[in-house]
Amino acid sequence: MNVLVLSGYGINCEIETLHAFEVVGFKGKIIHINDLIQNPNQLNNYQVFAIPGGFSYGDDTGSGNAMAKKIMTNLYDQLTDFSLKDKLIIGICNGCQILINLGLVPNLNKKDPEVALIENKSGSYECRWVDVKVSNNKSPWLENISTLNLPVAHQEGQFMIPINLLKSIKANNLIGLQYIDDDKKLAKGQFPFNPNGSKDDIAALTNQNGNVLAMMPHPERAFYHYHIPNWQSKTLKKFGDGYKIFMNAKKFFA
Amino acid sequence: MTNTIQILSIEKTGKESSLQKEHNNKSIKIIDGYFFSRNLDDQKFTKISKLISNDVSQTILTKKNVNKVLSSYSNFNWVVEIKFLPGVTDNIATTVKEIIKDNLKSSFKSFELGSTKIVLIKGRKEDITKISRNEANPLIQTIKIYPFKKYLNNFKKNKFKIEKVKLPKKKYSKKEINLDISDYHLSLIGKLGIEENDKPRRGTLGLDLESLKAIRNYFSTIKRKPTDVEIETLAQTWSEHCKHKIFSAKIDDIQEGIFKKYIKGATEKIIQLRKDNFCVSLFTDNAGGIELNKDWIICHKVETHNTPSALDPFGGAITGIVGVNRDCLGFGKGAKPIANTYAYYLADPNKKYQLYRQKNKDPMLPANFIAKGIISGVRVGGNCSGIPTPQGNVYFDDRFAGKPLVFCGTVGIIPKKIKGKLSHKKKANPGDTILMAGGRVGKDGIHGATFSSEELDPNSPVSAVQIGDPITQKKMSDVIIRELRDENLYSSITDNGAGGLSSSIGEMAKESGGFIVNLEKVPLKYDGLYPWEIWISESQERMTLAVPPANVKKVIKRFNARGVEATIIGKFIKKEKAIVKYNKTEILNLDMEFLHEGYPKLNLKTSFPKIKKEKKKIIKKSSLIDKLHKLLSSPNIVSKEFIATQYDHEVQATSIIKPLQGEGRVFGNATAIKPLFADEKSIALSQSAYPQYAETNPYDMAGCSIDTAYKNLIVSGANSKKIAILDNFCWCSSDEPDRLYQLKEAAKACYDYAVAYQTPFISGKDSMFNDFKGFDKTGKSVKISIPPTLLISSIGVVDKISHLTKITPDDGDILLVLGNTRNELQDSVYSKIIGYEKSKNPVVNSKDALLTYRNFEKANKLEIMNSAIGIDLGGLGIAVTKMAIASKKGLNIDLKLKNKISVDQFLFSETQSRILVSIKKNKLANFKKIFKASDYTIIGKCTGSDVIEFKDNKKIMRGKISDFAKSYKQNIKGL
Repeated sequence: MNVLVLSGYGINCEIETLHAFEVVGFKGKIIHINDLIQNPNQLNNYQVFAIPGGFSYGDDTGSGNAMAKKIMTNLYDQLTDFSLKDKLIIGICNGCQILINLGLVPNLNKKDPEVALIENKSGSYECRWVDVKVSNNKSPWLENISTLNLPVAHQEGQFMIPINLLKSIKANNLIGLQYIDDDKKLAKGQFPFNPNGSKDDIAALTNQNGNVLAMMPHPERAFYHYHIPNWQSKTLKKFGDGYKIFMNAKKFFA
Repeated sequence: MTNTIQILSIEKTGKESSLQKEHNNKSIKIIDGYFFSRNLDDQKFTKISKLISNDVSQTILTKKNVNKVLSSYSNFNWVVEIKFLPGVTDNIATTVKEIIKDNLKSSFKSFELGSTKIVLIKGRKEDITKISRNEANPLIQTIKIYPFKKYLNNFKKNKFKIEKVKLPKKKYSKKEINLDISDYHLSLIGKLGIEENDKPRRGTLGLDLESLKAIRNYFSTIKRKPTDVEIETLAQTWSEHCKHKIFSAKIDDIQEGIFKKYIKGATEKIIQLRKDNFCVSLFTDNAGGIELNKDWIICHKVETHNTPSALDPFGGAITGIVGVNRDCLGFGKGAKPIANTYAYYLADPNKKYQLYRQKNKDPMLPANFIAKGIISGVRVGGNCSGIPTPQGNVYFDDRFAGKPLVFCGTVGIIPKKIKGKLSHKKKANPGDTILMAGGRVGKDGIHGATFSSEELDPNSPVSAVQIGDPITQKKMSDVIIRELRDENLYSSITDNGAGGLSSSIGEMAKESGGFIVNLEKVPLKYDGLYPWEIWISESQERMTLAVPPANVKKVIKRFNARGVEATIIGKFIKKEKAIVKYNKTEILNLDMEFLHEGYPKLNLKTSFPKIKKEKKKIIKKSSLIDKLHKLLSSPNIVSKEFIATQYDHEVQATSIIKPLQGEGRVFGNATAIKPLFADEKSIALSQSAYPQYAETNPYDMAGCSIDTAYKNLIVSGANSKKIAILDNFCWCSSDEPDRLYQLKEAAKACYDYAVAYQTPFISGKDSMFNDFKGFDKTGKSVKISIPPTLLISSIGVVDKISHLTKITPDDGDILLVLGNTRNELQDSVYSKIIGYEKSKNPVVNSKDALLTYRNFEKANKLEIMNSAIGIDLGGLGIAVTKMAIASKKGLNIDLKLKNKISVDQFLFSETQSRILVSIKKNKLANFKKIFKASDYTIIGKCTGSDVIEFKDNKKIMRGKISDFAKSYKQNIKGL
């Protein structure tokens, strides 16, 4: 089981993302986008492709856009190919924005891009912990998980989806995660439970196979129990909720 | 007018919400624009539009759709167009160019591009002017206001032009400066800069008459005239910013100066007593280094960026934070930045100070604009760089109206050994190539170092502002830390900060002997820079490396493969000479000794200042609960949650004690990160400054700062033997004897308390002239000096994560105050807001303090403490309330007062060295084994109800926690 974790041009969560994969049993490597463009065939050596969080190109022209265009220009076929195999792709935060801008998620019309991530309703960057529930548990990334407590950290995390597309997203069960309130009910746009005003409290989307997951919250930052806010007041096991996502990837190949 | 085209993309929902709210006007729309230097055919227009926008959320404006699209929002009547001034770094344009070049490859070559922000408004002309003032900074941006119809017309006809920097392309000829002139004319050179033939002088050099005379003497000995480059270089190298002349000067009877005697002296004394390996690298490098564990070193550096932040708050703050990040990259062989810290000392954002740099013109930016810009600058700098920013604070006082203080700090980590060699040691060897990596050089920040050492007055140059580009730096940093460093491909490294190449190369060359630089090799942002400008430019995001010739090709290749530019610009030599050439003409040739040590040493005298007594205020009669609400909602105590949530403190997955603590989210005074996956050893961070105490007694002020910064780490669970501190002195009028007296006193306290606490200073920085000289709105001349401010930053190692404490008590816990409370209300938050009678200023008794801290540490390791919070601003009353808000649990406080102290004195005195703790009932016996009865007071218990109850004999006062939380979480007016 090998994971390729992408880096370069301002991506910045690659080290902790790789670490999370390694702890659950993957072998992996951080590979710079330019090296991957030089030698795209190395993708064949990997079962998981992870685009971590960060600030690729400083969010210029919209978060994730510039990196998505770089991938689209240089690696689009190879990555599409990857997504059509029995392999997994995850994009976290900026990685989520990149996957959305690439159109790999939700990938219903095979046309780029179908969804947009726009500025948070609060108008400011939001670094805070949220609760999400799993809506699509047929995605291998999200199997057997009900809720997760994870941090978000973004300026542009509000999913904007045209009405018709939203209907098909729902019909195809492609909503991965949704923000919930303290009573485990949907946040209904209410801040701070829904930190960005996302439509239908959407925090993550998948493609139709469920093997490509684009999620705004950061599972790698909720990996150990001591990552959880006020962990000293709680009785906790060794790992935080983020661990479950990475374990699911392992189970998929086990 | 050149035939240009612009692509405008409009957000369907929009990013104008905050602007609309601020101006109470719903008819505002922001548009992103991109100007091209050439026309685009329809096919390219469509293709490029698609590359730089998202058609789900944005609409591209075309000649056909523009009327329809815009009229669907409002009947706009004005357009504000904001562009960067020619030559100012335009990061967005750089990215767009890269996307287009990558995608269109050879079919679309050579074009210029600029980004614009366009604001459409329906409103009156006055509103438009106001909005444009708030949205742009004339120092770096041009603002044009058009009637909407005219703008539309221009848009349809492509009637826009792109402005490039056009500097006169003169052939450079060596310029010699005659210093054999009168003292008056000599001092003009120092104050206003070198004379030019057809232009105004170059701008201040910050050289005093004595320094210029020393230069004159040197050149008369070597029998030639100095060049302009030599004078500019000496001005940079000898600047207060670089040489810290005041700290190294003889002052009264202190021959060696206050730095050697009190700051370095304290550390030397401590090291002598300790005999351990804790201190690794002190004072000599870009940051100070201490040991985290047997394999890793951590370093810490805190910088100020005050003057640039006064002129361009966003730009000043972002370059402040990314600049101090480079100090970590330049620590030893290059440490990876793992945490940022911040501290802002600002004027009240809700007040209008109306200050002018010149009579009736050149206004200071409004206080709220400065505050917002600074907060945003560090947000963008930190978040974009992928470095968590967990630790910080903000303090407000009117005396910062002329100059805000912006402290930016970074913690870095580096393995102790790299390929068997000690990583904190570095040495540029003779023959090593001088390599400049990162961004290009422009006119940015010319005269930054000399200027930040001067008071802010009408002659402050505007080119002293730099623009930060965190992504360029991130790319460069990744190559250095992840690829080059661990293969030992370079022998030394340092950052380009103040003074640019002249400082970085000048400093590094001390390791080899000297240097030869060929300035024409330096890559420029645009043509037409004079050699002296290239040499001292403070363009950001650059590191200088000393690379053995055998590795140069490899190193450059690595940088280029990651989209980073790296250029050979010279070599280090053994001979102790500083030599700079420009197209083979030698324009600088100085002895290294003279360059670094030739400046005249100051001889300072101090005098005892008149102490300004706090004006007696009438105590406002109100209930205790009311007073608590007033204090909680005051700007210096109120929660800074809105900053914590916009600064990413979770990136790198290291945050284990977060800035917001407890379910009730109280803004903590210490935070902790765990930087290694494989080791529990963690880092606790805090900081403290008490400018409000300074005028009463600077010695005690410094004592309080050290005590609080140290205490916060003890309370968080750090090992007392592994705490180090950093000093940042921000002073005012440091040429006045009474200010120097205060400085000397504060420095003396630094020695006394650091030695008492056995906590070494590992790094520091000073900024000595934080004064504003200008005019008020009536045209009357005013001088506003900051109160002397000493920021102490503390960094400590936490051995086990189980030692980390929390601030939330549990039901049934007993509450205790460690340390005794004295009547020390003078200069407190209480005295400012409620009023005071007769009181004293807080004084730290280090013996008592240490007893408390050692006992606390012992008890904490034995797991006797269930929760703890350091008592600081607002005293015990505020600490109690914060505990209740954080835990959402009620507390009963029984005010059994001892030592003839009143209720208000007990609750609001800012007596130092006290800790509020809670322990479980069954731990009381064990607690008493460690603490003597005289060392603590039991004040109540945690009830778990929804109120805080204070009992004063038979009188009971109650307040609901949710009400206190509301006061504590109020918005700061004006922000």
